[in-house]
Amino acid sequence: MKYKGNLSGKIGIYSLLIVIAIIMIFPFYWMIITSLQPLGAIYKFPPEFWPENPTAENYQAIFGKFDFLRFTLNSLFVTTVAAVGQLFTCSLAGFAFARMKFKGKELFFGLILATMMVPVEVVIIPEFLLMNQLGWVNSYLPILIPSFLVGATGIFLMRSFFENVPRELEEAAAIDGAGAFKIYWKVFMPLSRSPLSALFIISYLINWNALLRPLVYLNEKVLFTLPLAVTTFKGEYESQWNYLLAGAVVSVIPILVVYLLMQKQFIEGITNTGLKG
Amino acid sequence: MKYKWYVPYLFVLLALIGLFVFRLGPIAMVTGISFTDWSPFGDPSFIGFENYEYMFTDPSFWEIVLNTVIFSAIFVPSILVFSLLLAVLLNKGLKGTTLFRVMYFAPVITSTVAIGIVWQWLFSTDAGFVNFILRFLGMENPPSWLSDGKYSLGVVAFVYSWKRIGYYMIIYLAGLQDIPRVLMEAARIDGANKIRMFFKITVPLITPTTFFILIMSIIDSFKNFEIVYTMTRGGPGISSTTLSYYIFQNAFEMFDMGYASSVAVFLLLIVGIITFVNFRMKSRWVKYQY
Repeated sequence: MKYKGNLSGKIGIYSLLIVIAIIMIFPFYWMIITSLQPLGAIYKFPPEFWPENPTAENYQAIFGKFDFLRFTLNSLFVTTVAAVGQLFTCSLAGFAFARMKFKGKELFFGLILATMMVPVEVVIIPEFLLMNQLGWVNSYLPILIPSFLVGATGIFLMRSFFENVPRELEEAAAIDGAGAFKIYWKVFMPLSRSPLSALFIISYLINWNALLRPLVYLNEKVLFTLPLAVTTFKGEYESQWNYLLAGAVVSVIPILVVYLLMQKQFIEGITNTGLKG
Repeated sequence: MKYKWYVPYLFVLLALIGLFVFRLGPIAMVTGISFTDWSPFGDPSFIGFENYEYMFTDPSFWEIVLNTVIFSAIFVPSILVFSLLLAVLLNKGLKGTTLFRVMYFAPVITSTVAIGIVWQWLFSTDAGFVNFILRFLGMENPPSWLSDGKYSLGVVAFVYSWKRIGYYMIIYLAGLQDIPRVLMEAARIDGANKIRMFFKITVPLITPTTFFILIMSIIDSFKNFEIVYTMTRGGPGISSTTLSYYIFQNAFEMFDMGYASSVAVFLLLIVGIITFVNFRMKSRWVKYQY
């Protein structure tokens, strides 16, 4: 749609857009600025909008003394495995819900969608007791296993996509003697690059930022993910904002870079899983 | 297509295990545990409704319920109003829209932990940027936001709204694109002004999206554990303690699994009732016909 309207209207809208942009972006700017100053400088009044003597010493401390490289690698590992898990579970189930007839289909699909409403805080207690029973506390299993098994949004997304794949493709493959799994893997999956990448991005994002499960399940520092490391760090260095914000920046930068490179896929992914209407 | 009867079940096997082991099972279990006295290191003992009795007679529980309601009452309306406003602004077809959209969406992809920390810094009493602005504007003793029980909950709800608004904006944008353009053109030709067009065409036609956003944002507003944990840990006192934080606190700091479970059951019921009522009321205001 092209803009239709007069110049003063245009100026009005742009000023509004810019004011909102400042409100949305300023905290990021402030986070970076603070992380580039020594402790003494950040308490100055009035604050410096552009640091006179920027320093990397907070980051040296973060990666040296506080071992954030370790936490970054932990986060990368957990997040990647979890996102791959989502792809399998959700595409398999989505395929069955979209292309197959079976008893209990509507019921199971309805239940899966309905449980989207359940806050994790409600089910975390029995989940913890189960993981504790299995002896999985202090490992990544309690974080990874659910992402291999639970994925209402992803199942919904994959089902909607698979439903629109022409029937002929499936039939042609079946005539060639392909079984269900082969049809799924050789015909449907190669067609699904765009919903799969959307799903990958979304679960990557969710897992990268997750705090509750790591907080509940991980006690040993070597296992910490970035958000957990940053919160724990916050408890220990309460008013050393220069360190805290450097830690926050380190936890944000990787995902922010990916977002800026792939913002279209991010936004499409969110829109498609947002079951609009 | 015809497949052997068991084939579909193989495909949904993982998802069904997930459904039963991580969703339905835990919901049943949490209900069971709520009738017991249980620390994770000992054996549970059945105590009937004792946890519920304690919960309902504890004044601080009701304060926490009220906090939760206030949090939602700040979050949900701000989301509904501002995400639609942003979406409408971005839907004008102006140049540079993509850039603005990228910026508005940035908080959505950022972790609650990082956002909580930076806003805590911005709202800090002496060196915080917010108070710098207020002093600059002439206020002599600006509030000590997060360490003042009068403001802590409001600040946390504000920050969470700030974080989530871009998400709902994107959903509204998709909804706006579904409004037939001919309607807008027709109204324009009839000489309707912008504000009238917004309230008479956009708002009614977007009601299906609004309904979805209402449901999702209410549920979202109950999932506030991470922001509360990061910014205030429910304090000062219990001034910013919400139900989901209270569940965590009881279960994983006090290790009172029984009591925490009864709070969890309460929260689940609230979410269920609100969602149910929303769906019942749906036909009264949601219009699917153009």
